[in-house]
Amino acid sequence: MYRSNGFISFLLRRVTGIALVLYLFTHMWVIGSALQGSQVFDARLAAVQTPFFKFAEVALLAALFYHAFDGLRLLLVNWFKITDYRRSLFYAAFGLAAIMTLAGAVPILVFLVQG
Amino acid sequence: MSDTANLRIQRFNPEVDRRPHLETYRVPLTPDTTILDGLHAVKAEQDGSLTFRRSCRHAICGSCAMNVDGHNVLVCKTRLADKVAGGKTVTIRPLPYLPIIKDLVVDRTAFWDQYLRVKPWLIPPDDVPEKEFRVTPEEVAALQNAETCIMCGACYSACQVVAMGKRYIGPHALLKAFLRVLDPRDAAVEDRLREVGGDDGVYRCHTIFNCIDACPKGLNPTQAIETLRGLAAKRKALEAARRTRQAAWSGARAP
Amino acid sequence: MRLFQLQRVSAIALLVFLTIHMMVLHYPPFHIDFARILERMADPMWKAIDIAFLFFVLVHALSGTYAVLTDFDCVSRARKVLAGGATVIGVAAFFYGAATILAFQPPV
Repeated sequence: MYRSNGFISFLLRRVTGIALVLYLFTHMWVIGSALQGSQVFDARLAAVQTPFFKFAEVALLAALFYHAFDGLRLLLVNWFKITDYRRSLFYAAFGLAAIMTLAGAVPILVFLVQG
Repeated sequence: MSDTANLRIQRFNPEVDRRPHLETYRVPLTPDTTILDGLHAVKAEQDGSLTFRRSCRHAICGSCAMNVDGHNVLVCKTRLADKVAGGKTVTIRPLPYLPIIKDLVVDRTAFWDQYLRVKPWLIPPDDVPEKEFRVTPEEVAALQNAETCIMCGACYSACQVVAMGKRYIGPHALLKAFLRVLDPRDAAVEDRLREVGGDDGVYRCHTIFNCIDACPKGLNPTQAIETLRGLAAKRKALEAARRTRQAAWSGARAP
Repeated sequence: MRLFQLQRVSAIALLVFLTIHMMVLHYPPFHIDFARILERMADPMWKAIDIAFLFFVLVHALSGTYAVLTDFDCVSRARKVLAGGATVIGVAAFFYGAATILAFQPPV
């Protein structure tokens, strides 16, 4: 494939988008257990708050922040004439996503350790 | 600086080869040697069967666009010394995502078909002014960028959306459509915007920017596409405004 | 064109709703169970916010998936079928999700 920042951004946006869609339907299935009463709900929720899922939650955060900031970058390019800054914008989006993921991961992992 | 350079060139002879393969050739190198000069040296002195498109040698005909070290460039204006600095070998492949006819020559049918699809010629109004079309300097300046396109194919062939499917109109044709839509002398604004605002046009661009990176003339198809997106949503209003503008011209006919 | 506009509008809406969702539900992290959620859902405003959130998420997710799939010429031929399928899935998911949100009632 053609080597460029733009291609990487596009590929990551697609991959995170698809991952988020898959997460969405899984999430709806898990929360949907409320329709079967509070006991089924609590059981299923407990099953997805184990340490493995807490780490998966950090991965989810990464996908979410990347997709959101890259999307925001697209909105900016749509509304303003800033194609000259395309490379800086890409790095800014990526950097912000990384920072926010770390910021979000810390409380999750602290909670995991402390209970 | 060494006075020779290594070119690694993708070769493919459909009558003999099952798949493309890379061959390396050594050519003379001076500070002024372009990659095109290198290709000519291979063809003239080492392998006369090497096939590539070229014509003007000075970046105006658009024939010699190729993929050099992963990026689409015009080889007539790319200095070989820059690419082989530090003893590197430069890799030359044909434009990506298009069928290969032979060696570095690709089939550009899809490229031209999409170009024709947007009716790239000016469509003047039925009532043409007696003397000239009066256009402001600002309106001419807005067209400057898009007018410089030499149809080399570097942008089209760098586009990932084109890589995924040839139904997408492509940055080259959308830039041309932008040129015509913005031209006050053109009378087909609504039709043009309906075509590019459809399923295969401006809304398929994913803002990857490869077209800007690849363009040897420094043009900006992405910005043209973004502008067209805004215009496509208002095509009826724009058509009405254009008709009013052009009516003023025919009103200016000499009696 | 409509699809593009739908995607963009839902994206902007999601920036707002997702921020609210993350701040209310996940920070600071707590053990999530029916009782904790019931506390918040006692106020009908939260049910309304969640249903609106659900709507925009489904619009963005399904229009995005449709766009990703129809980028490929071979899939593009079936675009009407895909659009129909996406709409059906969206409507069904919306009713299922809304029912779930409304299920957070105190036991009778």
